[in-house]
Amino acid sequence: MKTVTLDVNGKVFCLDVPDGELLIETLRDRLGFLGTKYSCLEGDCGVCTVLADGKNVLSCLMLTVEAEGRKITTIEGLGQKDLHPIQQAFIDEGAVQCGFCTPGMILASKSLLDAHPSPTQDEVVHALDGNLCRCTGYVRIVNAVLSAARKMKKTP
Amino acid sequence: MKTTSPVGKSVPRIDARQKVAGEATYVFDLKLPGMLVGKMLRSPHAHARIVKIDTSKAEKLPGVRAVVTAEDTPKIKFGSNEFFFPYTVDQFPLEFEKVRYIGDEVAAVAAIDEETAQKALSLIDVHYEILPAVFSSVEAMKPGAPAIHTAMNNIGVMMPTCFGDPDRALKESDYVREDVFYLQSAAHAALEPHVSIGQYELSTDRITLWSSTQAPFKIREAMAKTLKMQEADVRVIKLNVGGGFGGKLEMFPMDFCACLLSKKSGGLPVKMMCNREEVFSFTRRKHPMIYKLKSGVKKDGTVTAITGEVIADGGAYCSYGPTVIAAAIMRFMMVYKFKNIRLFGSRVYTNNPISGAIRGFGGVQSGFAIESHMDMLARGIGMDPVEFRLKNATDPNMTTVNKMILSSNGLKDCIRKAAEISGWKEKYGVKKETAPGVFRGIGIGIAADVMGSKMYKSHESAGSIIKVEEDGSVYLFTGAADTGQGSDTAMAQIAAHELGVAYERVRIKAADTEITPFDTGSFASRVTFISGNATKNAATDAKRQILEVVAQELKLDIQGLDIKDEQVVARESGRALLSFDQAVILCYSFNYGRLIIGRGNYNPKTTPVDFRTGEGNISGSYGFEAQIAEVEVNTKTGQVKVLKMYDVHDIGYPINPASVHGQIEGSIVMGLGYTLYEDLKFKEGRVVNPLFSKYRIPRSTEMIPIESVFIETNDPQGPFGAKGMGEASLLPTAAAIANAIHDAVGIQIKDLPITPQKILAALKDNENKT
Ligand code: FES
Ligand code: FES
Repeated sequence: MKTVTLDVNGKVFCLDVPDGELLIETLRDRLGFLGTKYSCLEGDCGVCTVLADGKNVLSCLMLTVEAEGRKITTIEGLGQKDLHPIQQAFIDEGAVQCGFCTPGMILASKSLLDAHPSPTQDEVVHALDGNLCRCTGYVRIVNAVLSAARKMKKTP
Repeated sequence: MKTTSPVGKSVPRIDARQKVAGEATYVFDLKLPGMLVGKMLRSPHAHARIVKIDTSKAEKLPGVRAVVTAEDTPKIKFGSNEFFFPYTVDQFPLEFEKVRYIGDEVAAVAAIDEETAQKALSLIDVHYEILPAVFSSVEAMKPGAPAIHTAMNNIGVMMPTCFGDPDRALKESDYVREDVFYLQSAAHAALEPHVSIGQYELSTDRITLWSSTQAPFKIREAMAKTLKMQEADVRVIKLNVGGGFGGKLEMFPMDFCACLLSKKSGGLPVKMMCNREEVFSFTRRKHPMIYKLKSGVKKDGTVTAITGEVIADGGAYCSYGPTVIAAAIMRFMMVYKFKNIRLFGSRVYTNNPISGAIRGFGGVQSGFAIESHMDMLARGIGMDPVEFRLKNATDPNMTTVNKMILSSNGLKDCIRKAAEISGWKEKYGVKKETAPGVFRGIGIGIAADVMGSKMYKSHESAGSIIKVEEDGSVYLFTGAADTGQGSDTAMAQIAAHELGVAYERVRIKAADTEITPFDTGSFASRVTFISGNATKNAATDAKRQILEVVAQELKLDIQGLDIKDEQVVARESGRALLSFDQAVILCYSFNYGRLIIGRGNYNPKTTPVDFRTGEGNISGSYGFEAQIAEVEVNTKTGQVKVLKMYDVHDIGYPINPASVHGQIEGSIVMGLGYTLYEDLKFKEGRVVNPLFSKYRIPRSTEMIPIESVFIETNDPQGPFGAKGMGEASLLPTAAAIANAIHDAVGIQIKDLPITPQKILAALKDNENKT
C-alpha cells in the first residue's frame, strides 16, 4: 500500500492504493471516472487513453503511483456541460457509433491538437494509430479531428 | 423554429452527447450494491467425457459465495434457431456429459473479488476422459470421424438446393470452370467485451439480467427456457452496447450462470465479464468455409448454371448455423438471376470453438466466392466484368427461382454508377506500373442483402409505443437494440417526422423486455426496415389520437387535419390551427382527459426458408450494392495497398445519410481487414492469436478513401422508402479487392486472407507456368 496524491481533472485526491494498482483501476473503481473504458488491458487498443500532463497515456499500462505529481485528465475533465470543440466535432461529423472507443479517441486527439494545432490528415491518422475503433472505419473520426482543429484555430 | 422533419437529414445521434462526454453507461460500467464477481470454468480439452466434477474445495474457499454446475440446473438445452430447426438445439448452459471444444462451460463461481473467483476455479476438480477430436470440417464429415453430437457424419445442418436442370445447362455451356475458395475464421472484435450482470429476487422468484446484447428478447426466451421459468419472470435490460457485429446475438452460458449464481448466493448481483482473450477464444467466431463451385456460361455472357458445395466449419455447437447456411446459399440467387442452380450446403460440427453469427452471416464468405468466380467466368469468355454482371444481375419486381420477391432493386444502377464514378472504362485491363514492380488494378464485387430474416420465430414482428405527455414531451419505447449503428437515432427521426414534431423532442427508451415492446433484435440489417415501420405506425397512431381531439374541439373533419412543423394544420390550406403543445394540452384538458399513447407494430410479409429446397421469401425487402476497389500490388514484397473503394448502395432512402455512410465506411474497413490479414487461427481447437497484438484489426493508418453514393429506390414497404443496410457493404469487399489484384498482376487468390506470402507464391507460380 502506498499513499498517493492524485490530480484528476483539476481535483486532488489522496488515496491509499496497492503498489501494483493500475491507473485505470483507480480511475474507474475508486474515483468513479467511468468515462474511461478499457478493452484489452494489454496496451493494444488505446481505449483506456487518458492525458497525463496533456500527453496521451494508456491508463492500463500506468501504475497509479506513477501518476502522482502529474495532471491527469479523463474525458469527464474535458467537458461535460460545455463540450470541448473536439467533442462537438465528433458529434457533428458523425464520428461516434457505439462510443466505446470515443473517450480515448477524443483524448488522443486532444493531445495531438495541443502539440500540433493544424495537423495534416496524415498526422492525424498517425497520432490515432494506437486507438482502435471497430465501428467507424476511422473516416469520420479523422474528419472530426481535422474539423475541430480548424474551429479551434478560429476561436482560440 | 427548429426544423421538424428530420428524416433524410444527418441529425446528430441521439446518444452522441453522452458518449463524447463519457456519461453513456454500458453494462461494462454498471456496479450494483453487493455485487459479486462471476467466472466460468471452461474445458481445457477439445473433446472429452466428463467423469466427475468436484466443487467441494472451491465451495470452502473463503470469499466464495456460490459454485454451480449442471447439477444446479434443469439440464435443458438451448439453441439459436430453435423455432424452425429444433434439431439444432444442442447446447446445455453447463455441460455435464461431454465437452466439445476448448472453452466449453462446465461450472461457474461467484466470489467477492476477481482473485478469489479465479482461485476458486482452480480448486474445482473435473475428471475428464479424453476423446478423439476432429478439427477440420472435411475430416469431420468422413465416415469414422469422432461423433461430436448425434448428427450423421457430423453434419448438423444441411441445405440441398436445386432448381432447373444444372447438368444439362452445364453441357450446353460454351465455357465451364471449377474453382475452390477457402475462407478463414474471424472475430467480431467489438471493443466492449461480453459482459452481463444477473440478479435474482428471492421474494418473487424473478431475475433481472443486464447484458451487453443485440437481442434482449432472445436472451429472455433462452434464459426462461433453460431455467424453467416463465418469460414474465425474466427481465433483460440492455444499456449502451459497445459494438456487437453479430457476436452478441445469443444467450451465453455466462448470462445464464450470472443469474443462477445470484440465486444460489442469496440474491446478490453477479457480474460476468470476458477479458479480451476470452472474447476471442470462447464467444463466437466467423464460420470458416469452403466453396467448391462449377459453373458454365454462354459466349454472350449468360450464366447457364452454377453448381457446387458449401461446407462450413461450425465448431462445437449449432448456434445460428441454419441462418448462416441459408444466408450463404440464398445470396447467390439474390444477386444473379440464375435459373439452373444446385448447391449443397453443409454445416459441420468440429471440436473448434463455436461458429456463429457475424455481420453478414454467411454472406461475406459467399460474396468472396461468388464474385471471384464470376470474374473468372467473365474472363473465360473475354467479357468485361461490369458488362458480365449487368447481363446476369437480378432485376426489380422479379421473383427468383427460389421464390424470393425482389421488389425494388437498384442493383444494375449500382453497378453502372460504380463503374462511372470509378472510371472503370478507362482503368480496367490497362496495365499500369506506377513504380518499378508496383502495379495498379481495379476490380468489382456486387452483393445483395436481406432486411431481417424469418429464421428465429414464426413472426418477425417488432413493436413501438409512443407516449406524448402533458408537457408535450415525446417518449418512444422500442425493443430494437442499438449497438452503435444508430438505430435509436433513426427511430427517433422516424417518430418525430411522423408525429410532426422536432427531433429534439423525442426521448427514446430502448430494449428492456419488461417495458418495451417485443423486437427480435439487431441482426440481419432488419432494424430500420422492421422496427422503423413499427415506430412509424406508432407515431401515426399517436398523431391520430391528438387530431381526434382537435377535430372534435374545432368541429372539423379529422381527415382534413395534420401535424407538421410542430403545428396542427389544415391539410389543404396548410393553415396553422394551433401549436402541437396547445393540441396536447387540449388532449389532457378537463373536457377530454385523453392520454396520448400510440402503438404500432410491423410484421414483414415473409415466408420461412424451406431447408429441403432452399425456397422462401425470407425478407420483406432486399438491398443491393456494387463495390469497386482500386489497388496497388508490389510484386517484390507482395504487399497490396487498397487505394480507394467506391461503394454504390441501394439503400431505398437514407433516413440519416451520415449514419448510413458511417455504416458503409465501417463495413468496408472491416472487410478490408478480413480480406488482407484478419485471421483467427487455431491449433488443435485452441485459438492461437487471442489478443489485439496478434489478431490485427484495421487501424487508423489503414484507413482508405471511400466514395460512397446512394441509389434511392424508395422501397414500397420501407419506412419512407428506407431499407436496412448494416451488413451489405461487407459482402463484396474481399472479391472486389481480389479481382483488382488480378487486374493488376494477373493472379487470382482464392483463399483469404490475401497475405503478401500468398501473392508472392502465386506470382512465382505464374512465372513458372509461362
Ligand atoms: S485497455 Fe487496451 S490499451 Fe489499455
Ligand atoms: S465507435 Fe465503436 S469502437 Fe469506435
